[in-house]
Amino acid sequence: MNLYKYASPTNFYPLAGKLIPWFATPAAILFAVGLFVGFFIAPPDFQQGDAYRIMFIHVPAAWLGMLLYVLMAFYAGIGWAFNARLASMMASSIAITGAMFTFLALVTGAFWGKPTWGTWWVWDARMTSTLILMFLYIGFISLQSSIEDPRRADRAGAVLALVGVINVPIIYFSVQWWNTLHQGATIRILQKPTIHGSMLWSMLIMLAACWLYSVAVVLIRVRCIILEREQNAARFAEVTV
Amino acid sequence: MNWPDLSMGGYGFYVWGSYLFSLFAIVWELVSLSYRKKAQTQEKTSRQVLRGKANETTS
Amino acid sequence: MLRWIVWRDLLVAWRRRADALSTLFFFVIVVSLFPLGVGPESELLRSIAPGVVWVAALLASMLSLGRLFANDYQDGTLEQLLLTPQPLYLVVLGKVGAQWLTSELPLVCIAPLLGIQFGLSNETLVILVVGLILGTPVLSLIGSIGAALTLGLRGSSVLISILVLPLYIPVLIFGAGAVEANIIGQPAVSHLYLLGAMTVLSIIFAPWATAAALRISIE
Repeated sequence: MNLYKYASPTNFYPLAGKLIPWFATPAAILFAVGLFVGFFIAPPDFQQGDAYRIMFIHVPAAWLGMLLYVLMAFYAGIGWAFNARLASMMASSIAITGAMFTFLALVTGAFWGKPTWGTWWVWDARMTSTLILMFLYIGFISLQSSIEDPRRADRAGAVLALVGVINVPIIYFSVQWWNTLHQGATIRILQKPTIHGSMLWSMLIMLAACWLYSVAVVLIRVRCIILEREQNAARFAEVTV
Repeated sequence: MNWPDLSMGGYGFYVWGSYLFSLFAIVWELVSLSYRKKAQTQEKTSRQVLRGKANETTS
Repeated sequence: MLRWIVWRDLLVAWRRRADALSTLFFFVIVVSLFPLGVGPESELLRSIAPGVVWVAALLASMLSLGRLFANDYQDGTLEQLLLTPQPLYLVVLGKVGAQWLTSELPLVCIAPLLGIQFGLSNETLVILVVGLILGTPVLSLIGSIGAALTLGLRGSSVLISILVLPLYIPVLIFGAGAVEANIIGQPAVSHLYLLGAMTVLSIIFAPWATAAALRISIE
């Protein structure tokens, strides 16, 4: 079987369509299971009571925000290096979902901070790094939406994403350092509760659920992007019935 | 299995608030995607109709 | 080639002195706004001085980035530069070098005066200047990537800010951190070393990214 034919957006469109239910349904199931374990089986935390249960959506969202950025940079890089349109379309598709998860991480982090530490926002290393990641996503999306020529947008986004992904460790390190320096007497913020088995399971199941959800949503969006950009491909008309 | 305390020990607003917001974000993403898809397929069918009409007149 | 590009850009900048000077005045004005905003209490001013001066330097750098490639792009010179047999890396390095000399160096020179406004000691001023000398090249180099990516776009000046400011954050943290360390009596050398490391890495890698971005923007 020649897999390379799926590198063409026209051929990938129906494949993506068939794949989506295989990711969407397990995602929904895992969300339900994860939340069940998280709320019905995991006990209240010793320090934080029931407030810690926000962790089951906050931590997966934060991880996925970071993971999707790397994936986006990877696809953008492939699209640039091999002149592969579909890879660039995938990058553009991932960007929005990644930004959504990062924003979710910020908001749920604020919701978690208020009851545990009294303020909606704290400038600790993790929240600040997540905020900067949000800025990087916004930069990528803004750049791509400002450029009219889709190929130029793809390649410019690739340069930006690659520069960004190389800078992320540098930014993370400098923010960590900045935070430890300025912390003084304040206690470590948003410390994860001592992980009980069921808590860990719930978090991992939610992580898997978010991951499957991301794949499904990215595939749905990339189909929209393919529709928008491949208008002139003659064979496309038959395939997208 | 323990039935959870629905008020989350007083933190109900924050816990349920976060999950509601997450649900809202997911729903927003799916709804906006379906709008985008609908707009695209409508545009495509209208273009096909126009192309069909153009073929009719030229043939 | 490198010398020629730097010389040419310096000549062009000299003929349009107002552009470079306006960057300088922007820097001075922004720094002066902060005491007006937070009050003249000297302790407070000394504690916010490092951050204020560095953030103003970041913003002023960004303003000058728009001019880096735009003028040459508009009159077609940039396309010709892309066609020369010399490596584009050197062209970019030359242009960024000239931009640093015309836009950043004045900032470095006037920073001590602004530091005095905020009540910083002489030793701290030295650290401020050294930090700026080590850090501003990074600002120019990374900024050039943003300038190249947004070449010819509508609203490019704001877009450059969105793209480039997150990447400036490490420079800000260590630059301001160096000054602050000195104020509280800690050694600032490690911060300056890290700034120096960032500069070296930027000089090696950033022009390559900018060259790639230029080719993408001009096709």
